Amino acid sequence: MAAGESALLLARDRAASRDVSPLEREVVELFDQLRGKLLRYTLNFGLPVQDGEEIIQETFLALFCHLQQGKPRENLRGWVFRVAHNLALKRRASAHFSEAELVEETLAFADPAPDPEAQLAGAQIQQHVLTVFRVLPEQDRRCLILRAEGLRYREIAQILGMSLGAVSMSLSRSLARLARAADR
Amino acid sequence: MRFEDAHIPDEDLLLATDGELADQDAAHVQAHLEDCWACRARRQEIESAIATFMKVHERNLNPQLPPAEGPRALLKARLALVPAQARRKIPPVWAQVAAAVIVAALATVLAGRWTSMYRSATAIRALSTPNATLTPGAAILASRNEVCAAPEPNNRAVPATLQRQVFAEYGISAAQTRAYEVDYLITPALGGADDIHNLWPQSYSETVWNARVKDALENRLHDLVCQGQLDLATAQRDISMDWIAAYKKYFQTDRPLGLAQ
Repeated sequence: MAAGESALLLARDRAASRDVSPLEREVVELFDQLRGKLLRYTLNFGLPVQDGEEIIQETFLALFCHLQQGKPRENLRGWVFRVAHNLALKRRASAHFSEAELVEETLAFADPAPDPEAQLAGAQIQQHVLTVFRVLPEQDRRCLILRAEGLRYREIAQILGMSLGAVSMSLSRSLARLARAADR
Repeated sequence: MRFEDAHIPDEDLLLATDGELADQDAAHVQAHLEDCWACRARRQEIESAIATFMKVHERNLNPQLPPAEGPRALLKARLALVPAQARRKIPPVWAQVAAAVIVAALATVLAGRWTSMYRSATAIRALSTPNATLTPGAAILASRNEVCAAPEPNNRAVPATLQRQVFAEYGISAAQTRAYEVDYLITPALGGADDIHNLWPQSYSETVWNARVKDALENRLHDLVCQGQLDLATAQRDISMDWIAAYKKYFQTDRPLGLAQ
C-alpha cells in the first residue's frame, strides 16, 4: 500500500499546485449533476452499486477525453447516458450474471424497506406502481426511467437506439398502465 | 390535422405534456384541450402518472446510493492525472508507464477507501476455510429426528441475493465470483441455516481440501448422527469450528481419502 499512498499524495500535491483546467471543472460539474441519475439507471440493469460507480468513473474519464479532443459537445447529457448504458450492458455480459439472478436482483431493489410510512395509502400506491413497473418489458422500463430522470425524447431515442415514435409509444403504453395502477 | 374532430390520442397528449410536439401540432392540441374536458382529464391522469412514478422511483432507489464525495474525489484525482500525459505530443515511454502506474495505484487506494465506507471489506482470499469472524456458522434449532427424517440430505442452492451479500462481505468483486462457490459451513442436512453467518465463498481453485471432501464429511456426520453414534450439536460444533480438523477426526486420516488412494 505504501506505493499507492505516495502516489495519492503526489497526485494531491500536483492537484493543489496547479490550476484546475476549465475542462476538468466542467466535467466535475456534469458529474455532480448526473451521478445520482446515472447510478439509479445502472441499478436498473441489476448491477451492484459498486459496479455502477465504476461505470460512472469510466464514463466521465471518457467524456473528458472526448472534450479534450475537441469532439462535438452538443447534448452531452445524452452522450454520457449512452456511454454509461453501453458500459452497463458490457459489464453485465462480462460478469456472467444469470438471467434468473438479475431478475431477482431487480426485484430485490424494487422492494421498499419497511418504514413508518408503510401504513399510509401512499405506500400502497407505491407498491402498485412498483408491481406494474416490474412486469414491463425491459426496453419500456428503461424508457420510463430515462424520462423520469428528465431526458428528452430524442436523447432517450439516441441512448436506446430507438426511433422517436417508438419512444413516445413505449412511454404512453407504460404510463397508461401506471395510471391504472395508481387508480386502484 | 388528424385529431381535428376526434379526441386526442394518449400518445399525442403525452407528447404535448412533455413539450415534444411540433409548434403547429402543439397549437392544435392546445385548442382542443381548451374545449374538451375529457381530454383535459386524461392529460391530468398522464401527468400525475409521471409524477407518481418519479416519486416512487427515487424513493425506492435513493436509500441505496452511497454519498457522492468519495467517487467525486476519485474522479478529480483521475482527471488531474490525465492532462499530464495528454498535453505532450509524444510523451516518453517512461512517463507513460509511470503515469499508468500512478493512476492504477491511486485508483486502488481511493477505491479501497471509498468502498470501505459502505462495505466492511476485508480483502480475504477465502480458500478452503472460512473467515471465522464473517462466517462463524449458524444452525436452525433442528432435532435429530427432523434432520434424519429427510429421506435425502438436501443440499439446496443458496439464493442469489444471499450469494451477492456473501461476495460483498468477503470483498470479492462481481468479475471474480465465478472462481467461487458460496457454500454452507454447516450443511442444511445437519440443520445449518440460510444465514449469511453460515455461508462463505469456497474457492474452486483449492485442490486438496475442496468442496467434494467437505461433502464426504457432511455425509459421514449425517450418518453418524442418524445412527445415534454422535449427537447433532457436537456435529454442528465440530464442522463449524474447523471442518478440516473434523474430517481428520471422523475419518481418522491426515489427508482427504480420495487423494490417499
